[in-house]
Amino acid sequence: MKAISLYNKTSAFNGIYIVFLVNRLQMLYFVLLQATFLVYPHMIWAIVAVGALSQINLILVSKCFSSELLLKGYQGYVELFGKQGVRILAGIGLLFLIVKIIVTVLGYMEMVHYFVFPSMDSNWLILSVLLLGYYVAAKGMDNTIRYVSIVFLCTFWMIGLVFPFFFPPIASIYDLFPLVPTSWTFQSWKGVLLIWSSLSGPEYLLVLLPWLGKQQKSLKYLSIGNAISVAEYLLLFIAAILFFGSHYLDKSKFPVKSMIRYLQSPIFERIDILMVSLHIFLVVFAFSIFMLMFYGGLRIVMGRSLQPGKLTGFVISLIALTAVMIILNEWIWKGYTGTNMLLELQIWLGALTYLLVPSFFLLAIKRKERLKL
Amino acid sequence: MNNHEMLSTGQTPISIDALERMLSNMTDAEIIDRHYNKDQKVTLLYIETLINPERLNESVIEPLNRGLHDSIYDAISSTKVSEISTMEEAEVALMRGCVILHDPSQSQWWSVLIESSLSRAIESSETETILYGPKDSFSEQLEQNITMIRRRLPLTTLKAERFTVGSTSKTPVVMMYIEGLTNPEFVDTARSKIIEIDFDLFLDSSHLAAFMEDHTHSVFPQYQQTDRPDTCAYALDIGKLTILVGNTPFALIAPITFFHLFQSPEDYINRWLVASFLRIIRYLSFFLSLILIPLYVALSTHHYQMIPMQILFVLLESRSKLPFSPFWEALLMLITLEIIKEASLRMPSKSGQTLGVIGGIVIGEATVSAGFSSTVLIVLVGISAIASFLVPNYLVTKSNTLIQFGFLVLSSFLGLLGIVLGIIGVLAHLNSLTSLKQPYFAPLAPFYWRGWMDVFIRGPLKYMKSRPEYLHPLQRWRYGRRR
Repeated sequence: MKAISLYNKTSAFNGIYIVFLVNRLQMLYFVLLQATFLVYPHMIWAIVAVGALSQINLILVSKCFSSELLLKGYQGYVELFGKQGVRILAGIGLLFLIVKIIVTVLGYMEMVHYFVFPSMDSNWLILSVLLLGYYVAAKGMDNTIRYVSIVFLCTFWMIGLVFPFFFPPIASIYDLFPLVPTSWTFQSWKGVLLIWSSLSGPEYLLVLLPWLGKQQKSLKYLSIGNAISVAEYLLLFIAAILFFGSHYLDKSKFPVKSMIRYLQSPIFERIDILMVSLHIFLVVFAFSIFMLMFYGGLRIVMGRSLQPGKLTGFVISLIALTAVMIILNEWIWKGYTGTNMLLELQIWLGALTYLLVPSFFLLAIKRKERLKL
Repeated sequence: MNNHEMLSTGQTPISIDALERMLSNMTDAEIIDRHYNKDQKVTLLYIETLINPERLNESVIEPLNRGLHDSIYDAISSTKVSEISTMEEAEVALMRGCVILHDPSQSQWWSVLIESSLSRAIESSETETILYGPKDSFSEQLEQNITMIRRRLPLTTLKAERFTVGSTSKTPVVMMYIEGLTNPEFVDTARSKIIEIDFDLFLDSSHLAAFMEDHTHSVFPQYQQTDRPDTCAYALDIGKLTILVGNTPFALIAPITFFHLFQSPEDYINRWLVASFLRIIRYLSFFLSLILIPLYVALSTHHYQMIPMQILFVLLESRSKLPFSPFWEALLMLITLEIIKEASLRMPSKSGQTLGVIGGIVIGEATVSAGFSSTVLIVLVGISAIASFLVPNYLVTKSNTLIQFGFLVLSSFLGLLGIVLGIIGVLAHLNSLTSLKQPYFAPLAPFYWRGWMDVFIRGPLKYMKSRPEYLHPLQRWRYGRRR
């Protein structure tokens, strides 16, 4: 079977790519659900506070960015954890990754089904997005990372659509009060957890380091990406509060896209259909880059990372992933009412990976450096 | 080269018998014996359809008749004289338009280049017309084309490397670049690509491009074809290569990006604001020509709710008596449009008016009256067709058509989502393309912010101080002295 070169390193990426990657990975899917979980105006402070915490976490990520070991890729991981250790870690990482892929794709395709094609079987929608994701992934890691700049330019401007919600007659300033919490419930903690989980994503950049290369000002770029994301979270949440008000916010399943439905334009009504379709850019990109990570991880687990990749292996893993995705859509996603098990799992797993992965890698690097001395 | 050396290199020594055999059954081949200084015999061999008879008389016959010099070499009044010794050299020389002279007394063979120049006058470009700016364009004469570029860039660093491609066509190819400015990596890549070519016939630069391109199965051109010397001069100045091919007026420019195909020489003549506006209009037109018809199919098939009420009434009325679904209606109209476009290219120019009448009145009006198509679609097809011609590069326009059909199919299955998926696919494809191993979608991907000054807009010339970063030129600044 034909050998494939998915993981070639031919391009050098400058710091702006870190900004794009951090920001777009933080704007994936959970951000569209956030308002339903946060509900109360005082959660604005929660977004700011968790954003600041995320910034501290990014300092750890940036320290990992300067590690020569991680830049080496697989060889570096072997030096850090040993061959067997890398296989075990890759295996654990695959479980986290697969849940993230499944929840992102199934969750977003549910939204597409809800807004764009309510009468179509969602499996067809999932299949079409997966096929396109495979096409993008098949172009290789280099091209997929480079694609993020196109994705950013094609999707970033959509945040501008929420500005009309900040002005009367839609906006009512009273909906923004009280800004000081009168009570702090379990739901509030869950909201905080969701914000943290939404901000997860930059930890995956650590496995992209061999492609991103050594960056002199990584913290600056990571911080810009994170700051843009937090600003976008705030804009979306405040717009949702102003539009729905706290009393009705939790009644809406997809508040951000639902409020876009009320925008008028002389050419199109139902701009939400257009926006939901355009957001697919981000989902396809995320799927393809995670898919490449997944296949790379799978090769490490199977002990074949040093052999040239085969098209058969890639295709088999794609088919397997598609089958898993469609089965889970049929068995779990389609039939749930309220928050489903997979979504709940990903909120926890996303928060966990973002909290632990950078510290874990940094500790391992420091330990290795100490041993060398 | 002596006979022993020739045999070791597999070459045949030149002889009059071998030449006579080679030129047998060629009615335009001439073998003439003349006398020089009365007692010396000279044999002249040439192909009369390839040489200039007047120059033959002036440069060879008359000097030989006068016999003022001791040797034949001194007698010939031409600078393009070279000694030859093998049959292979003789064959190449004869086919280039040389006269071969044999001096039996000295056992020497000479070739004198006196080729007939079958050249047409320098005319203005028909494929890249502009209102203002230089009007000259390339012709089929390679040397003339080189001259036109050299006059614009009178530099000794402007190098011109000559190659021959095609085992039967022996097409001359000249690669031009500015030494010390163009990245040597491009020059090496292009040189090795040309040298590696092994094919028989090259009648046009597009044939050469097909062998040099990095991605054979892409619909997008990876080399810019132009017949404008000013476009070539600009490309050379910013760090690209120009490849001229004999017997064709179209030069190749590489490496290019997708966005270069949207640039017109007139962009640099208009005021920058006007040029920028026109450039944005071009991109918009390209986009419209791709999605307008698929959007009609998507909206009228899947997303009626997206159409404002007033427009919906017009659409419903227009489509109420049609026997076809929006997809089939659009597909038939697009195929008809393509037939008309192709016919307009192939038909004699005097029949153009007839075609306009048939296309515009008969097909446009009659299909609506007959109930085969809606008026809304006719309007959209018209806009889409005109919009597609705004792209200065005709090859992109043709690629555009193919993509449009793809989007049409996607829109019929998945509506607006299908179009977006199609756009994602096309952008991913563009992102992965390369031209001469350089990214095709720069400065968007890879992202070079400074390069944007001459992509979507055309910035003021005096602010465009540096050459595009993505071309990695050896001289970054365009000013001789930094300001």
